[in-house]
Amino acid sequence: MNNNNHSANGPLTPAEVAFLCEAQSITIIPRQRLDGLDLIGGYIPPFHPPQRTAIPLWLALLLKRQRRCNIVPPPWLSAPNIERILKIETENQNFFCPDLPYRWLETAELLLEACPDDLGGDDGELRVLLRGLREVRQGKVREGLGKLEATYLQMNNLGLLEITEVRGFAKGVVDGLRKIGASIEVELVLGWMMMMMIFR
Amino acid sequence: MSYYDIDAILTDAQKVPCTFEITIPGLGYLEGNSNTDIKQGTRVELPLWLAEMLGVSQRLGTEQNVVTLDLPPALAPRVQNALKANPCTVDLRSLASHYYSLGERILGLLEEDELVDILSETFKKRAAEIADHAHNPQGVISSGGEFLKGLDENERQLFKISHESAKAIRAFLSDRSNTKK
Repeated sequence: MNNNNHSANGPLTPAEVAFLCEAQSITIIPRQRLDGLDLIGGYIPPFHPPQRTAIPLWLALLLKRQRRCNIVPPPWLSAPNIERILKIETENQNFFCPDLPYRWLETAELLLEACPDDLGGDDGELRVLLRGLREVRQGKVREGLGKLEATYLQMNNLGLLEITEVRGFAKGVVDGLRKIGASIEVELVLGWMMMMMIFR
Repeated sequence: MSYYDIDAILTDAQKVPCTFEITIPGLGYLEGNSNTDIKQGTRVELPLWLAEMLGVSQRLGTEQNVVTLDLPPALAPRVQNALKANPCTVDLRSLASHYYSLGERILGLLEEDELVDILSETFKKRAAEIADHAHNPQGVISSGGEFLKGLDENERQLFKISHESAKAIRAFLSDRSNTKK
């Protein structure tokens, strides 16, 4: 991406988040033999098709593009599971479903782009479900942002890409509130110290 | 606030009404009459950097503070009530281009307990509006434009950040679906 505008999101752009998620491990069904590779990042086990092997996602995507393997979708990325999670999300307005892995959004996007045929044949439905899930969660995030305070904001089980989306904004708001309340904090601390000295 | 920060410099330049406590010879030009003195009790609008120093000068060695500071018109009780009633319709930019920064500095100098709460609530509510606008860009034409034109500097930067990150995520996701094979 040529638009690496860092000032908006802090240190991470969405493309970088996607890049980082490629480090995770995924199972593939290789189509060709390959000896083990001793890379700096880790050891790649030898391929004996059609035995399944676990390799890093970046390598899996590369091999898939060269048609040298088939990717086995991770267990959470299936239409029935996503549908179940979507139902939990819509029914509970106050929390985010903990069953989604930390990098669900970026991993799902990468896999949908690279290997739609390996995802069980119903990738169109999966796309629709994922979009819906994202919108429900986004709505909840926005609602949570409306309750920002100067001290802390707790939203459990958000994905990394979703956090990146709100990081810049939340940082600005919390900072602004902190600065406005700073004069009161100083008074509180001074008052405390005086009380301690008087009542020692 | 750092020394070279443009926003800090501009905040300092905003004017605050002050009342002189003592007579100072030769400063008459501040009032517009050159070559006369400033009499005790005169009200002049001084920039914040000057007003702050003079207002706390007692701590620095003079007999009493050279000036006493008053609330700037941007933070007057009338405005405070308007903010309490409906923060999103007040045009902050016309009151002071760096509204919240001015508020912070004044809070550090004057005793104003309610003002902290009013400013915090205003900031929170307007931030929620800003987030809404950033996600659904309506442009400057519709009613959204009025609100956007009235944002002070801090809010404007907040809007830019949130708009940029929303745009980046949208571009990322649509990039993915455009390169379907």
